[in-house]
Amino acid sequence: MKKIEVSRRKFLQGSVSLCVYASSAMAMPLATTKTSKKNAEDVPYLCNMCRNKCAGFARVEENIITKLNPNHYFPKSRNMLCPKGNAAIQAVYDKDRLKYPLIRMGKRGDGRYRRVTWDEAYEYIKDKLVKIIDEEKDNRSTVAYCNGEGFNKDEYIKFFGSKLGSANFLDEGSICLNTKLGATQLTIGDVGEMDVAGSDYMIISGANRYESLITPDSVDMLHAKQKLVVLDPRCTMTAIKADEYLPVNPGTDLAFCLSMIYIAIKDELYDKAYVKTYFKDFDKLKKHILSKKYTAKWAESKTHIPAERIKRITKEFFAASHPLYYLGRRSVWSQNDFQFRRAMVLINALAGSINRKGGIIFGKPFHLHEEEINEPLYSNTVDRFDLDGIVYGSQKGGSWLNFREKIVTNTSPYPVKAMFIRKHNLMQNMPNIEKTKKMLNMMDLVVVLDTMPSDTAVMADVILPECTFLEREDMVVSFNRLEPSLALRNQAIKPMYESKSMQDILKGLGKKLSVPLFKVSAKHDADLQESIKNYGKEKAFTEGGYNMTELYKYDITTRNKKLITAQFGKKVYDSLKKRGVWHPYIDTQKEIFNNYYEYYPKEKRHYTVERNYKVHCYLKKLEKHGFDPIPAWNDHYDFKVPKEAFRVITGRYVTTTQSATANNEMLKDFQEENYLWINNDVADSLGIKLGDSVAVMSSVSSIVIKAYPTNKIAPQVLWLSHGFGIHAREMTHAFGKGASDNMILEDKFEKIYGCATMHETNVTIRKL
Amino acid sequence: MANYGMAFDYKLCINCHACEVACKEENGIDLGAKNHRLWIQEDALVKGDFWDLDRSEISFMQMQCQECQDAPCLKACPNGAIYVDENGIVRLHQDKCDLTRACMEACPYDARYVDEKNHVTDKCIFCADTRLARGETTTACQITCPAKLRYFGDLDDENSEISKVLKEREHFTLKPEAGTKPKLFYLK
Repeated sequence: MKKIEVSRRKFLQGSVSLCVYASSAMAMPLATTKTSKKNAEDVPYLCNMCRNKCAGFARVEENIITKLNPNHYFPKSRNMLCPKGNAAIQAVYDKDRLKYPLIRMGKRGDGRYRRVTWDEAYEYIKDKLVKIIDEEKDNRSTVAYCNGEGFNKDEYIKFFGSKLGSANFLDEGSICLNTKLGATQLTIGDVGEMDVAGSDYMIISGANRYESLITPDSVDMLHAKQKLVVLDPRCTMTAIKADEYLPVNPGTDLAFCLSMIYIAIKDELYDKAYVKTYFKDFDKLKKHILSKKYTAKWAESKTHIPAERIKRITKEFFAASHPLYYLGRRSVWSQNDFQFRRAMVLINALAGSINRKGGIIFGKPFHLHEEEINEPLYSNTVDRFDLDGIVYGSQKGGSWLNFREKIVTNTSPYPVKAMFIRKHNLMQNMPNIEKTKKMLNMMDLVVVLDTMPSDTAVMADVILPECTFLEREDMVVSFNRLEPSLALRNQAIKPMYESKSMQDILKGLGKKLSVPLFKVSAKHDADLQESIKNYGKEKAFTEGGYNMTELYKYDITTRNKKLITAQFGKKVYDSLKKRGVWHPYIDTQKEIFNNYYEYYPKEKRHYTVERNYKVHCYLKKLEKHGFDPIPAWNDHYDFKVPKEAFRVITGRYVTTTQSATANNEMLKDFQEENYLWINNDVADSLGIKLGDSVAVMSSVSSIVIKAYPTNKIAPQVLWLSHGFGIHAREMTHAFGKGASDNMILEDKFEKIYGCATMHETNVTIRKL
Repeated sequence: MANYGMAFDYKLCINCHACEVACKEENGIDLGAKNHRLWIQEDALVKGDFWDLDRSEISFMQMQCQECQDAPCLKACPNGAIYVDENGIVRLHQDKCDLTRACMEACPYDARYVDEKNHVTDKCIFCADTRLARGETTTACQITCPAKLRYFGDLDDENSEISKVLKEREHFTLKPEAGTKPKLFYLK
């Protein structure tokens, strides 16, 4: 049995680089540990290797996780774990992990830190924050905070938003899927869920479900009796597996969708009864689409998909009994992204595929009770500014590119002087890395909570080591709408080194900050001064909600037990502790074949629910702001690629999750570095062969990457996977491997949701 | 006592590598791309010009020890280190192996590799000394597979799922001309 030697060797005080800590910190188990013949503890947990969340059981032998197995009780993940899920063990035992609180000694980015105690780290943060918030006269929004991890996000917001009082929260939505969420919400009043399993005809635009696995969708696609049509400017695994693959010009999917709508309306293929009952402003949609003449011939000129195919597929789609145009979740591509996502929703609606089997369903999710806390009111706090100039935008997660632009150009209405960054690799996750660096360098205080010494962590003044998801319990989560369930992440092993859960980190920070920050408020906030005068300091503090640790009075296990038992009873709580999951049919779920289960009996699934809703064809607010109230093609959507230039598109490999898995020693065996996909004929003409080094130059910067000539990509398009080209030397497996897309991508964003448009950069290349 | 075999609904494979990672973690296989008991082989390529690709010939095949009933490796080993266990699995007496690599050369399926940690040749044994030894009835690759394309079980038990699927569906074995009588089957 391989054991982790927890010999807490004393470190030399003073300046030591992070990587020295990493390699000498403690003896680690060998990279893989053969499971023993004995029975062991199986701890139910929820995976966190990507945003998706699958359920598993962690096999724990003598306090070491030796294997992760899928959890057959969870309807969402269908008894499977993907390669990344299986390799999560390597994330726990990664020798490069952040192990101790650290305070920066060198310049930002050079990786020189000194090890400190948790109390020293908190004390340092407190001194800086008191000064900053005092300088800004208690405008709490001078402290921005962000989070890239799905779990615990709301709790993180409660701490920095509700308790500390900042309005500036940013998350991954504006570099991910906010246009899709917004388009669906604004069109049918809900973000919904797609019933892939129930669909007999599915079209996917660009979402690569067989390499970017999402449960249950990816699994359901494999087993559903359906025709699958895939549009993609790259022949992905999803395209390879499709019944029909339509190679398409990047960023022109909207033209395909508009043509489908045109044909459906002109040839009256749509579901008339559904349209009559649910559509609002259908006459406007009809008039607009017909007058624009979005014929198949017109769409062919944009998309490169033959008109006859567009006509045939449209007919097949509307003739199917459960057609679904799959609303992919993926980064935003181009300026027309919101309209494209909205056009897909309208196609589903025209087919009547809303709130029914095989369509976009509303379902019946479990609504968990909120733990209530007392929120202080800060009279001097100013609102967020990153949605200025954005039509809708996410009030929750904002717009990263607009935020960053206003900071670096000094055009924000007030200075942002501090930033708390949790599991969000800013230095890799958005276009134009130099600008992100500039933004972070303008801060008086940068604090990073993470598990790995990422490119962003090494920009921090203070690094707070968070434990991995297998070392902590998290609050119960409600999943899905068609077959809803509850799931609980249990703790498989205790946090290693001196790492802590987010809750414990915030509790410690809250203890340190509450009173000093209250004093700053008392100095500047007239309302608080009044309250102190009337009720006394103590009462004003307590009843005003200034105690930042209010949520952490009880530990997470106690909080879960209280919350779950009060709302669902002890039986459900026991199931969540023992099986990690609860759903109403957990005791009677049936194995259909080869470890594949039926969870809810068909008649109990929430395909159709009672709901008053309308399909909104026309959005007045868009018109008011100078945008198309009904999806339309605009001339400026025609993206021009100069002769001898290429349009860059991005994506990822099946074994990577953005930059989060970059250092995983198991996964790197499958894809150690990324390659530049280039059309084989074009490569031939340029004398570029497999593995040749190529310089790729944009208006922002340049990268060097190895070439992968292939017929699976269009002539004027280049593709590279996101998540490579890590700059931090402390990530020893990832450093120097491949190249980063965001080094060369231009930082453009669309103005409806403020989302970064990732596929609008032209580059030139040169063989080295 | 059983006669274990495996059947693959191979056309469902999306080459996600979950099986390979699960196998390496379960069985403590050394890291490194060259060390593996199983792999997915991409057969043929997508052909033609980008705008008119032919995807018909590409397939992803699950490759690993084929559990030959007439195993060339067993016959080739000069040390008599290879044997068939009570469950019909081709196994190795680790202490008798001195890395002549005769088994590796004899194997028509390239199923063996050198396990540098234990100084032996290694291959898939259906998780015999890990999962099966604890009484589990699935292999690591089988249980984690998103497509659930790997059927594993007792070929001598006519009620086992694998026996039923082999009765219901047409199937083939790899390199039948080698005369090795594999117990791994690919479902048409």
